[in-house]
Amino acid sequence: MIKISYPLNKLLTAIARQHQMKESLTEQELVGHELTPAECAALKAGDTGKLYELGANPYLIRRVFRRRFTI
Amino acid sequence: MDYHSPDMAEIVGAALTAHAPLITGKPEVSKPEQRDRLYAGFREAGRRLHAARPDLLVMFVNDHLQNFAYNNLPAFCIGLAGSYGAPSEGGAAFMRIPARTLRGNPEWAMSLLEAGLAAGIDFAYSHDIESWDELSVPLHFLMPGGEVPLVTVYTNCAAPPLPTPRRCHQVGAFVGDFIRARPSGERVALVATGGISHWVGTPETGRINPEFDLRVLDHVARGDIEPLTRLTWEEIEREGGNGGQEIRNWIALLGAVPGWKGDVLAYEGVAEWITGCATVWVHP
Repeated sequence: MIKISYPLNKLLTAIARQHQMKESLTEQELVGHELTPAECAALKAGDTGKLYELGANPYLIRRVFRRRFTI
Repeated sequence: MDYHSPDMAEIVGAALTAHAPLITGKPEVSKPEQRDRLYAGFREAGRRLHAARPDLLVMFVNDHLQNFAYNNLPAFCIGLAGSYGAPSEGGAAFMRIPARTLRGNPEWAMSLLEAGLAAGIDFAYSHDIESWDELSVPLHFLMPGGEVPLVTVYTNCAAPPLPTPRRCHQVGAFVGDFIRARPSGERVALVATGGISHWVGTPETGRINPEFDLRVLDHVARGDIEPLTRLTWEEIEREGGNGGQEIRNWIALLGAVPGWKGDVLAYEGVAEWITGCATVWVHP
């Protein structure tokens, strides 16, 4: 079964639609989004691989964390 | 020999192309010989499209989560937009091609939508489509004059679970039958964009799989589409990447023109654009 985290994708969509790019998210940006501790840790670290594993859409990962990709 | 009544609509040509934004957005990072060959392939597809003298382009394309988010993800969506920013001002800066507005054909699109629903193809619809590279990059080459109006069929290729390739083929077949049954004399061309292999935002970002790409192109060239319709999401994800899922658009188009075959005008696995890029002209 395909793993989807709705809270992660909802938050990343909101950031992407503001045309913001991030290296990582702050504690304050995570408040009120019903994220799991693992999701919060991955967002705070800007860990794109972990976010993918946790069910974030890779197109959203790419848009928000574009600077984390070397290519 | 096919007989075509001049009173009925006709599919006058079809093209399959990549749509990666870096094709126009970062031309300077690619190898000049690869870029030249691919651009030549795009321009040849454009020359053939122009020569086919279409009155309408039906575009099989996909969203990249700019229109449809996780609160509402249609498998298939007909664009009823009266116009498309292709690209918009913001998109133009990113894709480094001039902003322009292309006409839609909402009446035609509504006819397709209503016919689909009547026939059991449960299309969603949208009056307001924000288009990105899926229209802008290929049409920059294929229709530089912007003279032909568009109808769009958006298929979910980006937010799995996705409709099966077989279902995409069936939807395309419906669109083809719908066109040929119109008592209008319209000349309709089809364009499908996306693919072939690319990995975007995943841990394998940057990978390209020419073996998968050439396999897809070989099926298209021979008009042997059935094996493509049997591909599973897992197979495509493994061999073609999450971006490779966009071959659904190609498969839908090929469903509209049974028996047609592809002339592969260019194929380049462009590492710097993280995409296996192709342009194909499809004909009877």
